[in-house]
Amino acid sequence: MRAAVARQVRGFLREWRVALRITRVNFRARIEYRGDFLTALAMGLAWQTSVLVFATVLLTRFPGLGGWTSGGVLLIVAIRLLSHGAWVLIFNPLMMIPYIVQQGALDGYLIRPMPVYRQVLLYAFPLNALGDSFSALLLFAFAVTRVHLHWTPLTVLYLIAAVIGGMFLEAAIQTAVSILAFRHTIPLAIYMWFDRMIATFGNYPFSIFPLAARAVLTYVLPVAFVAYLPAAVLMGRAGTTGVPAGLAYASPAVGLVLYILARYAWYRALRRYESVGG
Amino acid sequence: MRITLITELSQPTRYVPQLTMVVIQLALTWWLWRALYAGVRVSAGLNVTQATTYALLGVLYLQFKSVDRWSNGDSMVQLMFEGTIAYWFTRPVSPRRWYLIRMCGDLAYGGAWALAAYGACWAAGVVAGPPSRAAGGAALLTLALGLVITYYLQLIVDLMCFWSTVNDSAVVAVQFASSLLSGAFAPLWFFPGWFQRADAFLPFESTLNTPLSLYVGRLPVSALGAQLAVQVAWCVGLALFTWWLWRRAAARVTVLGG
Amino acid sequence: MSAGTIVAEGLTKVFHTVARRPGLGGALKDLVRPERVPKVAVDQVSIRVDQGELLALLGPNGAGKSTTIKMLCGILTPTSGRVEVNGVVPHADRIANARQIGAVFGQRSQLWRDLTGRQSLEVLRDMYGLRDADYRERIREFNRILELEEFWDQRARQLSLGQRVRCDLAAALLHDPPVVFLDEPTIGMDVVVKEQVREFLRDQVRRRGRTVLLTTHDMTEVAKLAERVALIDHGALAYDGKTAGLRDLAGVTWEANVTVETVPALVDIPGLRLTRAEGTRLTFAPVPGAEAGDLTPRHAVRRLIEHLPVTDIRVEEPDLEDVVRQAFRAGR
Repeated sequence: MRAAVARQVRGFLREWRVALRITRVNFRARIEYRGDFLTALAMGLAWQTSVLVFATVLLTRFPGLGGWTSGGVLLIVAIRLLSHGAWVLIFNPLMMIPYIVQQGALDGYLIRPMPVYRQVLLYAFPLNALGDSFSALLLFAFAVTRVHLHWTPLTVLYLIAAVIGGMFLEAAIQTAVSILAFRHTIPLAIYMWFDRMIATFGNYPFSIFPLAARAVLTYVLPVAFVAYLPAAVLMGRAGTTGVPAGLAYASPAVGLVLYILARYAWYRALRRYESVGG
Repeated sequence: MRITLITELSQPTRYVPQLTMVVIQLALTWWLWRALYAGVRVSAGLNVTQATTYALLGVLYLQFKSVDRWSNGDSMVQLMFEGTIAYWFTRPVSPRRWYLIRMCGDLAYGGAWALAAYGACWAAGVVAGPPSRAAGGAALLTLALGLVITYYLQLIVDLMCFWSTVNDSAVVAVQFASSLLSGAFAPLWFFPGWFQRADAFLPFESTLNTPLSLYVGRLPVSALGAQLAVQVAWCVGLALFTWWLWRRAAARVTVLGG
Repeated sequence: MSAGTIVAEGLTKVFHTVARRPGLGGALKDLVRPERVPKVAVDQVSIRVDQGELLALLGPNGAGKSTTIKMLCGILTPTSGRVEVNGVVPHADRIANARQIGAVFGQRSQLWRDLTGRQSLEVLRDMYGLRDADYRERIREFNRILELEEFWDQRARQLSLGQRVRCDLAAALLHDPPVVFLDEPTIGMDVVVKEQVREFLRDQVRRRGRTVLLTTHDMTEVAKLAERVALIDHGALAYDGKTAGLRDLAGVTWEANVTVETVPALVDIPGLRLTRAEGTRLTFAPVPGAEAGDLTPRHAVRRLIEHLPVTDIRVEEPDLEDVVRQAFRAGR
């Protein structure tokens, strides 16, 4: 029994090592295109900075956002940026699936001894993730100084869980989108739209929205669970969100559950894959 | 142009989701701006109607600006990569004209959708009309010139692929720039002073911010002259630059692989 | 079942495409109620390849070769039928199957575009968990025959077709799989590289005992490489047996077109029969039958020159279209 478990663990570790090695090779390959590399870094930074700029602008020009302090709003933005940065770091290649399918490369993935989903994630090294994550950390540091929260180990753990949960939620959405790519050519714009929706509307405390908007942003596009609800929980305002408090507390779990469902659906769809050309 | 139309209309998966996305985004944007203005009357020189109209039109602009060629394997970079770009230089139509025709087709298609959406928004009462006929005319004029500038900017990015086949970041850069710096992401008037001043040196502002500002009345019609001058200057400059680039590109038709 | 066996029974694959009706009215109808049209790409194909055998799957474009091989690889799930490779069901047990097969698709590469050939091989080494010693030894062997070191430090996107396929071959065989699938591997290559690849494959089958299934639409390839051939057209299997038998079945052989100075009164050349005569242009074909059956074109040419005042001579391989058509007719 113990030997079997040890074997599982060893196998698991080995797979991680392989993934890391491939990532390193990808990274090296990307770095060789120096111009592209620097531009990508700069772009990641520039984009996130502008989002930041706009967020601060909003806070100064439109006071009293649904009763939230500026520090609280900054916390929402920070959590969202952190989870998005984590998402880009790991899951960005999902957006390449239409291209991978069109190139016929997916066939090759299907005959390699590695789960296809993982191979997709290892397709390329996401350079812009570096810029994204860096600015996310900056903003988070800034937000922490502005928001007056009593940080206990529990709240810190919850924060980490929220960021990871947000990452999984975004991954769930984009995984679901990529299912379409197996049978149709889907434009990149669809991925980007979801990305933009979360980026644009995920920054605000939802209490400013009318009921209809809140419903859309919670149950149709589950943006609320990414940053707003966890931030509300941290700020002790879980009761004012318009969503059952229990659900708000469970936001990180919502992301994880949706991700598991999406990935399962993805593999089911893969089985019905009809490859290109012939 | 016909190719674009047929390709787009023949695949419902192309425009049905796009339609849904636009509607949702418009609704959310409207709600957002109404909510933001709940506590203020005027901000950065825009009242709630102006800001909302601007924001909504910005959404329309972004959504319909470009047809997606990338997933079809038809974008310039991909053509370059596969080597099919060589065909452009052997056809009876010069590559420059061919690109122009393609772009016009794309813009016309996107424009048709945008117009339809605009009409729908107007009917729903979520978008306000211009304060005067002159303002409307001014907006249209500057929009037309703005589209020309957009065309040139896109052309420059696409031409870059003749020099470097890995231009993903450049593409992203221009997309980011054109959506943020033109005001499609959010009305430029809300950004800090230094941001607006820096942006004035770039062509993006005149592609969208100028027409929209005239439309909502943030810029008075009297400012039309100055704005036109700026736009024309950019048009001419970019036209010369791209003309020069095309010549260099044609000399460099290198195809990858053996 | 011995190792390295491919067994397929009653493989069928039906694709459903949406019919595009012409005209604007049709387009609208397509939008509201799309009509799904079934297309049978592969129809009840049964194949068996034993260990150490090389089977060529021959057929014209669109015949269903690629679809069949993708089902055998596990890339596509068959609509009906059973397939087992080395005891494993490919589409069900993907990862286990991946370790025992290698595949080369002529029209697309498995190498990473932005990595060099060597880097791609290294990544695959990690993925398959090969030991360093094994890896180095195999690389040495592949390099010897395929001459990889000439170009393996170039990025994959810069390689020519011949170089890329050679690299793909090494990549496919790196983990020493008992079964190898090749989908039109030499398509578009020049003659020299084609022969190099074929030599490599022959070596792998003979010396290493690999089981190879190869698809092609090139009759020459079949003739030079495979002792066994399966003919597939419009998704159905028309013939499955020895290559020589295919010619016999089809009754189509190579022909020698000869131009002579003067036409002799009586033309009697052992092993050859006159099939056509147009003035001074004569066409000969080998006499079918046990004794003359092994007459090679080269010997025929020699005999013709010995017996006739030849000014011009040309030998033509049978057209695949003819072979296929005849085979179908004969098979019916």
